[in-house]
Amino acid sequence: MIGGLRRAIQAGILAVVVLIWVAYVSNPLHFPGLAASPPTYWLKYALPGSAFATAGLIAWWLRPRNRVGVLMVGVGFGLLIGVGPHPAFQSPISREIENALFNWGPPRPGLFLSLGSLWVAMLFQLLLAFPGGHLTSRLSRWLVTSLYVFVPLIGVLEAPGGYGLDQSLPVWYAPQIASLLYVASPVLAIALILRRWLLGGLARRRSLSPVLWALAPITFALLPWTLMNLLVPIIGKPQSGPVSSVIPTLATVSPLLLAALPIGFLVGLLRSGLDMTSVASLVVKLSSGLLPEQLQSALAQALHDPSLRVAYWVPALDSFADLEGRPLDLPTPGSERAVSILDDATNPIAALIYDASLLHEPQLVDTAAAGVWMALENARLQVQLRAQLEEVQQSRARLVDAGQRERQRVERDLHDGAQQQLVTLLLSLQVTKAEAIKHADPKTAALLEANTEALKQALFDLRELARGIHPSILTEAGLIPAIRSLCERSPIQVEVRGDLCDGRLAPSLEATLYFVAAEAITNAVKHSRATHICVSLQRVTDRVVLEIADDGRGGADISAGTGLRGLSDRVAAVGGQLQVESDSGGGTRIHTEIPSHDG
Amino acid sequence: MRVIIADDSVLFREGLARLLEGAGFDVVGQASNAEHLEQLVAAQRPSLVILDIRMPPTQTDEGLVAAKRIRHQHPQVSVLLLSHHVETHHALELLGQSPERVGYLLKDRVGDLSEFLDAVRRVGNGGSAVDPLVVSQLLGRKRSRDLIDDLTDRERSVLAQMAEGRSNDAIASTLKISPKTLEAHIGTIYSKLGLEPATAHHRRVLAVLNYLRSS
Repeated sequence: MIGGLRRAIQAGILAVVVLIWVAYVSNPLHFPGLAASPPTYWLKYALPGSAFATAGLIAWWLRPRNRVGVLMVGVGFGLLIGVGPHPAFQSPISREIENALFNWGPPRPGLFLSLGSLWVAMLFQLLLAFPGGHLTSRLSRWLVTSLYVFVPLIGVLEAPGGYGLDQSLPVWYAPQIASLLYVASPVLAIALILRRWLLGGLARRRSLSPVLWALAPITFALLPWTLMNLLVPIIGKPQSGPVSSVIPTLATVSPLLLAALPIGFLVGLLRSGLDMTSVASLVVKLSSGLLPEQLQSALAQALHDPSLRVAYWVPALDSFADLEGRPLDLPTPGSERAVSILDDATNPIAALIYDASLLHEPQLVDTAAAGVWMALENARLQVQLRAQLEEVQQSRARLVDAGQRERQRVERDLHDGAQQQLVTLLLSLQVTKAEAIKHADPKTAALLEANTEALKQALFDLRELARGIHPSILTEAGLIPAIRSLCERSPIQVEVRGDLCDGRLAPSLEATLYFVAAEAITNAVKHSRATHICVSLQRVTDRVVLEIADDGRGGADISAGTGLRGLSDRVAAVGGQLQVESDSGGGTRIHTEIPSHDG
Repeated sequence: MRVIIADDSVLFREGLARLLEGAGFDVVGQASNAEHLEQLVAAQRPSLVILDIRMPPTQTDEGLVAAKRIRHQHPQVSVLLLSHHVETHHALELLGQSPERVGYLLKDRVGDLSEFLDAVRRVGNGGSAVDPLVVSQLLGRKRSRDLIDDLTDRERSVLAQMAEGRSNDAIASTLKISPKTLEAHIGTIYSKLGLEPATAHHRRVLAVLNYLRSS
């Protein structure tokens, strides 16, 4: 509806409310019925009626798209003109209006009453559709529809001068139908509201609670009267005592108690508006820039759902991923978790996973989602980056592992191939030499001896090469014997302090630590002029810590040479850290920590 | 002397068997893996087993494990372990507490036939043989160099040969000195290093190796 037109209608309604009040108070048209009735008689309709109409106007003004305001105005008018849900409750002004408007032409008994009392159906619609304005359950739609049908019907059937109670009613109609309808409907409606309150999330309860409180007085005022009416056919009409006097009095003033309801509705609506405020403050928070984790908790706070999770679309995984970049399956529809997927024109950006009770607040979720759209896209890119980083880290670790395996394979191939063949050749040279000596051929024997020496040198070189590629003792006996063996070959005194409780580590870890130690000792021997090196290896909870310290001249720089840089990369690839402390003149300390996995 | 050879290379086994038979040994069995070897040892009761440290299935230290088990189960059988690499760690583990009937040599040593056969005979006759590379590595360490600083060059050579498991006669003939002179050298070494004199030559292998390894 266009804003101007809407405002004009709202102003018109306000004017009509004022006019009705004028009619009640000063009776300018001199209605005889109105003049005869005391103000208490009409106040009980006019007060709640104007409360509904005014509150409805405010609600309509604040939430133009929500039909709650319009329904409230409708209920207000019904009450203002004083049409009861039953001829017994009709106010003087409604009779005057009926006389003024309908007493011409052919008699239309009860037409005004039946149309005027439609506000009762509206009230139920309002109660059951609050605060969203839509009837969500099938039962509530059924109830409201039947009220829209039966309330006018009862008006027509039971109006004085119409078919009337004393006249012949249709065969299928019994007056008890009216009683039953007016007893069963409020009970059913209250049950439905309570159910919605119980099943609703925090936001829903915040809106519904004021309505429930406002419903309480009228419920307790009408309950005894309803019960009495139900029981009259069974036990008869009470003749005297509090039951016969108090209960009808309570019922008579009950319309007055309806005045509490519009206040409840308005407060409820404003409280659901407070959630919009929390969404607004969420949007304000976004301006300061939030990490993905903070964004998730801010959304959870704004939507009153601590279990809310944000999943981000990662194209590389072709899946949604959690904050750490791990793939994540979305909950299936119909489970206790609901999902809203946000996307731009072509691709999904993120999914909000939240408690299914929030499905009752689609507007709230959509508003929050719209507010954080940009931030979510931003966060998605961060999560995507994390996923890629994770992938890169894994692939780096795989590369190092593959490299390590390859070295081990080459060493094994050398051992089983070249080394073994050369040794076998050495053997056969010996056999041949023995033959030559036996056949008194010293010249051949001398030649064979020269070949033997060359072969022995080749074997020596090959052995050193294999050791450099992958020391066999590392595979055969583990890290500590391998490091001890390394130290035995060092020209500088090396002290080894180690305790791995005889445990073996994963092969890639052992190799990484071994080569760190080897490079550190080689560096110390070559450059540090150290006289003493201390290698310590220990397991601290879930990490292996290797430290190589020398008493040399220091000044080693991780960024200068390729040796330390390469080692640092290699350590990082298995998830560890390598630090170098090397002040000039203060010796060098290489500290390596790697998360351990038992091999 | 009855010998069993275990190595996963048939060419090496055959070559070694031929060499040993040419030198008067009686090769009574060949095995390509540790399991088969242990069955052969139980059946043949040889004087000596020569085996490679790396054998199927894992190609790591099956030979070392098998050697230790044979030494435990058949104390009368001598064991000579061969390897493409020698490590002090393996040497000490193999020697354990009793250095009798045990040897640990680089495979390349087959290239020095007389030395190799000497070591085989020594181990087969109840003595011990430690590869010179192990000994020289131990002696070459800074710590060891400090320990043996007081020794003369001749005394150091004697110490190295003692550590390799050679007998006094062998050392004397290698260094071309008289047994009396050798005994004098050995006495000096013991007193300089503060070692307890050991009579049996294979006992002193452990004493010297452990002394050199202490740090």
